[in-house]
Amino acid sequence: MTARETEWISIPMTVDVPYRFAAGRYLTKTLTQLRDNGRIFAVECPRCRRIQLPPRIVCAQCHVRNGRWVELPLEGTLVAFTIMFLPLTDPTTGKPHEPPFVYGSVRLDGCDSVLDHLIHAEPDRGKVWVGMRCRVVLRPPGERVGDLSDIVHFEPLPDQSRPGS
Amino acid sequence: MDDLNQYQPFEVDQHLTAHGNYWAGRAGSRFYRALRDRRRILGSPCRNCRKVFWPPRSICTFCFSELREMVEIGPLGTVETFTLVTYAEPVHPRPAPFIYAVIRLDGADTGMAHFLDEVEYERVHVGMRVRPVFAPQRKGNILDILYFKPL
Repeated sequence: MTARETEWISIPMTVDVPYRFAAGRYLTKTLTQLRDNGRIFAVECPRCRRIQLPPRIVCAQCHVRNGRWVELPLEGTLVAFTIMFLPLTDPTTGKPHEPPFVYGSVRLDGCDSVLDHLIHAEPDRGKVWVGMRCRVVLRPPGERVGDLSDIVHFEPLPDQSRPGS
Repeated sequence: MDDLNQYQPFEVDQHLTAHGNYWAGRAGSRFYRALRDRRRILGSPCRNCRKVFWPPRSICTFCFSELREMVEIGPLGTVETFTLVTYAEPVHPRPAPFIYAVIRLDGADTGMAHFLDEVEYERVHVGMRVRPVFAPQRKGNILDILYFKPL
């Protein structure tokens, strides 16, 4: 038999390790263009024609050098999403993003990879759907720093509704 | 490809962050309550092995006996080893320079790592006798002891 405890002690702990990485030649172009001009650049594989974001120097499937740069539009399609009920740590600040909120993967038109980011929509499964059209909302020029936080969120385009509703 | 040379080298700042809650368990909860409410430091004795453990624990690390009782240890102790931290890192709980020491509290068989303060580094030595300085407002964590200082 063990005695009943009067009070259980728990101690909140936050481990925060700031770090810095060199973006390299390709990602430097994409992040600098995002910061300075609000434009998004990806690269195309000369063999399989996949358009890759973040830009990779070598195509991971064909093992050839990706040389051609492609500017992507700031609109795309939601290909997957989740509604978060737990805080998510923002890697650009280390601060938790408070739930509930929608988080999803958006394929910018023409791109073969997706961007994972906040979706500025009501956290309601009836109001978000795969196939929803979204556009990138950027921080204003001058406030951008050159990381993923320059994208505030994806915003659903107006005048669309969930299929079948 | 020349196009890429127009860009300045770029570095990205990020954070690896884990928000958590450390649950002290039965022995740990008793330890922190005694520290917070009574300024008493508790350890776990194993009668079988004739050892007193800090931090307190529910099972003996040597003979696996269940440890149900707790005894007061310290508050005075002896420096077993120490170091001077001379560089600042974000994971450090204090700005450098500061001294970390392992202090064996009287009556315990294991040491407690804590700060050593109110002393010149040159004066610190293994075997130095120290006492804890308690926080006036204690919250039930290890910083309820602010630091140790020489007698």
